[in-house]
Amino acid sequence: MYLRKNRLLALVVVTIGLLALGTVIGPAGAQEWSLAEAAAPYRGLEIKAFFLERPGYVAAEQMIDQFEAETGITVTWDTTPYENSLEKQTLDFTGGTAQFDVTLVDVVWIGNFAANGWIVPLETFYNDPALADPNLNLGGFFPILLESFGTWDGVVYGLPFDNYSGLLYYNRCMLEEAGFDAPPDTWQDLYETYGPALTQDGKYAFALQSKRGETQSADSFMRVIWPFGGSLLNDDFTSNLSSAESLAGLQFRQDLMAYMPPDIVSFDHDETVQALAQGQVAMITEWSAFYATLSNPETSTITDCLGITVEPAGPAGRKPALGGFSLAVNATTSPEKQAAAWLFIQWITSEAVAEEYAQRGGVSGRTSVYSDPEMLAQFPHYAALAESWEQYGNAVFRPRFPEWPAISDVIAQYGTEMMLGSISVEDAVAQINERMAEILTDYTNGTLPMLQ
Amino acid sequence: MASNTSSSQPRSGRLRHVNWSAVAMIAPSVITLLLVGLYPLLFAVSLSLQRFMLNRPQGNGTFRGLTNFLSVVNDDLFWGSLGRTLTMMVIVLIVQVVLGIGIAQLINTSRWHFLNWLVKTLLVVPIAMTPAVVGLLGVLLFNREFGFINYLLGQQVNWLGDPTMAMAAVIITDIWQWTPFAALVMLSSLTTVPPEVVEAAQLDTKRAWLVFRHVQLPYLWPGITAFLIIRTADVLKLFDMPFTLTRGGPGVSTELISLYVQRMGFRIFDMGVASAQAILLLVLCIILARSYIRFFYRAPEEA
Repeated sequence: MYLRKNRLLALVVVTIGLLALGTVIGPAGAQEWSLAEAAAPYRGLEIKAFFLERPGYVAAEQMIDQFEAETGITVTWDTTPYENSLEKQTLDFTGGTAQFDVTLVDVVWIGNFAANGWIVPLETFYNDPALADPNLNLGGFFPILLESFGTWDGVVYGLPFDNYSGLLYYNRCMLEEAGFDAPPDTWQDLYETYGPALTQDGKYAFALQSKRGETQSADSFMRVIWPFGGSLLNDDFTSNLSSAESLAGLQFRQDLMAYMPPDIVSFDHDETVQALAQGQVAMITEWSAFYATLSNPETSTITDCLGITVEPAGPAGRKPALGGFSLAVNATTSPEKQAAAWLFIQWITSEAVAEEYAQRGGVSGRTSVYSDPEMLAQFPHYAALAESWEQYGNAVFRPRFPEWPAISDVIAQYGTEMMLGSISVEDAVAQINERMAEILTDYTNGTLPMLQ
Repeated sequence: MASNTSSSQPRSGRLRHVNWSAVAMIAPSVITLLLVGLYPLLFAVSLSLQRFMLNRPQGNGTFRGLTNFLSVVNDDLFWGSLGRTLTMMVIVLIVQVVLGIGIAQLINTSRWHFLNWLVKTLLVVPIAMTPAVVGLLGVLLFNREFGFINYLLGQQVNWLGDPTMAMAAVIITDIWQWTPFAALVMLSSLTTVPPEVVEAAQLDTKRAWLVFRHVQLPYLWPGITAFLIIRTADVLKLFDMPFTLTRGGPGVSTELISLYVQRMGFRIFDMGVASAQAILLLVLCIILARSYIRFFYRAPEEA
């Protein structure tokens, strides 16, 4: 009986010991997390991603083989022009067709997609030890990018994938010929000093892409409001466009048109980049993604003269344009595909592949890439890019609520008419205010929370 | 009771005379047509009477009566874009019919058979091109600095940055793409004119215009009517080419009605109002088509 008691006691002690050992081993096991093991339950699945025709997506496409080999998950993609991408994804969500498992979220769509429950909060995945890479490190993204492209109402929905800041690209040779040894530091310099000196013989000092559409509203209209101290909305969601600062910015754009090509309202990104690349204009403010085009001798004649810096400062400081896309998980697709989509998003935006993604033409949102001296030496625009995101980032450069596309359309119409001079700046702003107030009625009457 | 019996007998008699094998053969086409044509139409009518916002789904399906139609009728932008579309339609239809008849006459009277074959083949090329690609080509061709059209003109015309010239660019592009279609339709109509009638008329007069006016034109009216109906519907829904060429700008100078409907549906996401606009356009299209048949269509014998 005594022996039996001793055996029982020994069994209990051994069991407790094993359990204790298990708890010690547990975390160590988690640290041995591998993508292949995490993906094992989803091996053989096929997921589809929503991509654009831009360098960052081509870079990702070239890397997908690695992910497929490691996980056994097949990743296909659909390439869509930007102008159709909101429409296409919205129809996919509302129709419940789940054509895309990995969705693409522009900075101005995050509120729309998240508020409607079309994308999955990522805590679902990164709080699941089986799916979360211990090296995920959300803090490794530039905070402004994770906040603006990936977060809505304090919840993370997407990881920054294709990241842009507005930069000033300039033709150093043209500037030097005109007697300038540096680009303009302020918008006022650009207008008063550089504009007259560089606009001659059919060449122009500056081009501001202003074609009707998101190009007019985001790249042109909003770009001149912020540096002059203006903004689109007040805190109570009434328009701030009639403020002296906003009007000053818009009037500045009108004045600056004297030093832009006369058909500037028909300039989209391609025309603007080509105008600089072919030596037609001396300076442009464009997205960082166009560095690949401007630095490639096959698509640019000014590669030896290309200079890059942060956007000029206005009276209210330096307020460069902010844009970009995060990748998110479609809420209408199956749970298995959601998990597989998460694993892909986590991998393609990870620090582990960030440098390869950048080498292939992508613009990573990981800070580690921009602190690597080799990368900084290889990509001359990285210093200006990191400076823009770290010091001058503006998360609400454009409002991110679902009504932005409607407002953007109104701005696109009156913005181009204003530039053509068919309506005065004040009258155009009055028209925009009136229409914007109608669009935002549900916010101003308290029906919807004021999130942007 | 008796009356029921007597009324059911003729019906069953009629049913016995139905050619069921013919019905079985036609039924798939009719059912497909109903599914493809009628269902979307009824769905659009249904949407036009509801609140249906794609980006704010809460409250969708609420019956709004004719509110969506009233907001369309009171929308200046809708009438502006419709006015631009109708203006463009009148210009392109007149130019295309006139040029089409001219080209068809040249081909019809030419004795160079190989050249005729070559021209007829080349005429198909613009028609076969995807409208979005035509718009993108237009962006290159009408470029102020590097465009081929300005190179030919020898001056830097601001085609796409000026409201009037941008509309002209859209019209020119449409004429370039669809005049060949007019020419092929007119050519097929001209081939129905009996040669002996033309020869007899030519003995009576040396004036080609009189021969055309009194002998050939009557044979062209059915073709012209068909062309007008097809192209009217086409211009009313013209979207891809102006979207890629100008995106409706600058301002609203090239915003045709289809671009505005698309803007309402897929930028503002108000499918209720967009459907109401589409229904009104459909009504307009039917009225125009019936008017063409009423005023232009003549069977050759009637003329």
